[in-house]
Amino acid sequence: MIKQYFLAAKNTWDETFVYRLNFSIWRIRTVISLLITYFLWLALLGNGSFIFGYTKAQMITYILGTAFIGNLVLSSRSATIGDEINTGDLSNYLIKPMNYFTYWFFRDLGDKAMNMSFALIEFFLIFILLKPDFYLQPNIIYVVLFVIALLISITILFFLNVLVSLLAFWVDEVWPLRFIFFIIIQFFAGSLFPLDILPKPLFLIFSSLPFPYLLYFPMKIYLGNENWQGILVGFLISVIWIFLLIKFTNFLWEIGLRKYSAQGR
Amino acid sequence: MIISVNNLSKSYEVYKKEPGFLGSMKSLFARRYEEIKAVEDISFKIDEGELIGFIGPNGAGKTTTLKMLSGLLYPTSGQISVLGYKPFDRKYEYLSKIALVMGQKNQLWWDLPAMETFLLNKEIYGISDSDFKENLKELTKLLDAENLIEIQVKKLSLGQRMKMELIAALIHSPKVLFLDEPTIGLDVIAQKSLRDFIKEYNQKSKATILLTSHYMKDVETLCKRVIVINKGKILFDGFLSNLIKQYSGTKNIYLTLSNIVDPSHLKDLGEIKKYEFPSLILEVKKEHVNKTVAKIMEKLPIEDITIEDQDIEDVIRDIFEGK
Amino acid sequence: MKKYLKIWWILTIASAQNNFSSRFGAFILIFGKIIRFLFFFFFLIIIGSRVSKIGGYSLNQLILFFLTFQLIDTLPQFFMRAVYRFRQYIVTGDFDYFLISPFPALFRGLFGETDPLDIPMIVGTIIFIIIFINKAFTVSYFNIFLYIIFIFNALLIAASFHIAVLALGIVTTEIDNAIMLYRDTTQMGRIPVDIYKEPLRGLITFIIPVGIMMTVPAKVLLGIAPFTIIIISFLIAAIFLSLSLFFWKRALRFYSSASS
Repeated sequence: MIKQYFLAAKNTWDETFVYRLNFSIWRIRTVISLLITYFLWLALLGNGSFIFGYTKAQMITYILGTAFIGNLVLSSRSATIGDEINTGDLSNYLIKPMNYFTYWFFRDLGDKAMNMSFALIEFFLIFILLKPDFYLQPNIIYVVLFVIALLISITILFFLNVLVSLLAFWVDEVWPLRFIFFIIIQFFAGSLFPLDILPKPLFLIFSSLPFPYLLYFPMKIYLGNENWQGILVGFLISVIWIFLLIKFTNFLWEIGLRKYSAQGR
Repeated sequence: MIISVNNLSKSYEVYKKEPGFLGSMKSLFARRYEEIKAVEDISFKIDEGELIGFIGPNGAGKTTTLKMLSGLLYPTSGQISVLGYKPFDRKYEYLSKIALVMGQKNQLWWDLPAMETFLLNKEIYGISDSDFKENLKELTKLLDAENLIEIQVKKLSLGQRMKMELIAALIHSPKVLFLDEPTIGLDVIAQKSLRDFIKEYNQKSKATILLTSHYMKDVETLCKRVIVINKGKILFDGFLSNLIKQYSGTKNIYLTLSNIVDPSHLKDLGEIKKYEFPSLILEVKKEHVNKTVAKIMEKLPIEDITIEDQDIEDVIRDIFEGK
Repeated sequence: MKKYLKIWWILTIASAQNNFSSRFGAFILIFGKIIRFLFFFFFLIIIGSRVSKIGGYSLNQLILFFLTFQLIDTLPQFFMRAVYRFRQYIVTGDFDYFLISPFPALFRGLFGETDPLDIPMIVGTIIFIIIFINKAFTVSYFNIFLYIIFIFNALLIAASFHIAVLALGIVTTEIDNAIMLYRDTTQMGRIPVDIYKEPLRGLITFIIPVGIMMTVPAKVLLGIAPFTIIIISFLIAAIFLSLSLFFWKRALRFYSSASS
């Protein structure tokens, strides 16, 4: 039963090779945007060893770390759900004995695996060439919590993605929405800078949104400069978000399908 | 001489992927390419005002040849001269004198009336206002399409759209016209009206027309001369009537029988192509026709008999199948 | 020239009408660009308010660099939008019709899809720059003149990259985002390129002349560009343009017109 989903993941992985040039360019793009942020921060740090309450190593680790886990968290194929709704290809799936969301979750996993394998090579090269000042977390508990936070963040992103795609039931083209969605995520998830350098009230508003739990929160845990209370609250908020997102996704899916089948597409 | 082609060849490289995961891994780093000869060493000449048909199965090299003649593709080797130009140079004087219509592609703007495309072409080809008006009037009249030019292209039927494509391509009165499968996908009536148009246009404008088509009917009604091409090579170049003479070694005898005859009695007369009492069609070698007819008269209870050449379609099929 | 302008205008009007169905998309796209612009702007201000000098530049200077980048990044996107659709032209065979008409196929490949909807955005950016320069700096007319010249120089380099991408699109249909590679690389010019460390800095100054495109114009305006770099800038633009045109011509030989 689960085998079909693994096959979906594997096929997604294989697909990447067919469009190898496209994929390579995508990877280069990812590296470039990392380099921009990295060098900008290096320039900001100048000769100082502290900035905005971060040590130099912590800040560098934050920037490189968010970029690295970004490959795991942000890479996804589920944008296609929107296209399939618009083109009517969705029907091909609806008649099959499988769960559409599980199918896409596994396709995402295939995509994440592929991106991660390349990210590993790239970071290896970056470490050799740039010799960045990287902080290794010695405390195993933080590392374990970091991994848990990552699993949560993957789940949050999946449902956010699906939600945006489901809007295709109501609009003809979803890609412009995804474009905005991606810009917002990149900013609010904290890939450009650690969110706590923002003014306090702003930071608190951000913290109540699901986005910081995609990159900022896991990285903060890894760095070990989030206190226990903060970690607990963070986990609580993010789990609540998962719960809300699932509810909302199911809701949209149901009323969307009703509209979809009413139109007889 | 309008067109002359000498020893023309074109080959492509096509990439091959091995199946499976290892195959994809390999293809990521090193790809195997295979050379495909689309056109191989062909030569022909065409005179002004001729209407010539290119016949061949899919992938025979018809379209590739047409595209080299119109300057889209760079020949791997050989020479082409059209109207005294080398097509691939794509000199504007040359491009202003030719046109290409492809049945499966369109140059019209999908969401706009065809008129918008005509106006663009007017500027591109530098057509004067009066010439434009006159040509447009003439073409729309010939195609019976006066009231279609202001309608959004996407709202036109396939046949109507093809008419608009033709107008867009002919508005600058080209001297040479390349038509690639112009009737593909059209219904029988639309095919016929397009055929009539091409014939009439050829006679009126004296333009040289090269046409490729799947439909034998197109070639049969339009072209005196045909060039048969298969696997990139020319198999035949000459009059259609000669093609039948040269390649068809058999004739069909159409019989109407008055009584049922057991098929086993017919076998030694010739090959039975169709037998549905009372009609019977026999295929017989040309040199045996007289003898066979005599035999039939003698042995079979017949009401009627006619002898005809092979269907052009059958002849062509036989050629391609290498019979 | 007049013929070209006229044809450009017909194409522009047509693509505006043609794309009317995706008006919503175009609108959101512009909205997204404004958001991204504001985010980075906001980021610069947050940082600038807490650090006095960044890589030797003041906050105002950094904003000028960023605004200049924004202009040089946006103009080609709008005028040369057709490049983003080029793969489509090749795959559907529309490009056959570009080639067969007595009008440069390159012109249509570059400028065939300008969308008038973008014009307000461009005008807005320019006005913003003018106001900002007026408020933040005192510069001579001569420097402003040079600034404009260098923006044009940058646009020439940008055009060269677009031409090269088109040429690549003819050779292989596999890539549909080579232009995005160019876009992302030039993103490095959001901040003055001296901030990057070697060997990256050398790479993006000369090999991929992001520095010459994005950083030099603002430096010229501020009067802090060395004379040699001015000469080199023109030279590089000339080299890139002729190389890309050469590449384009060669690529046409490999065109294998999508077969029907």
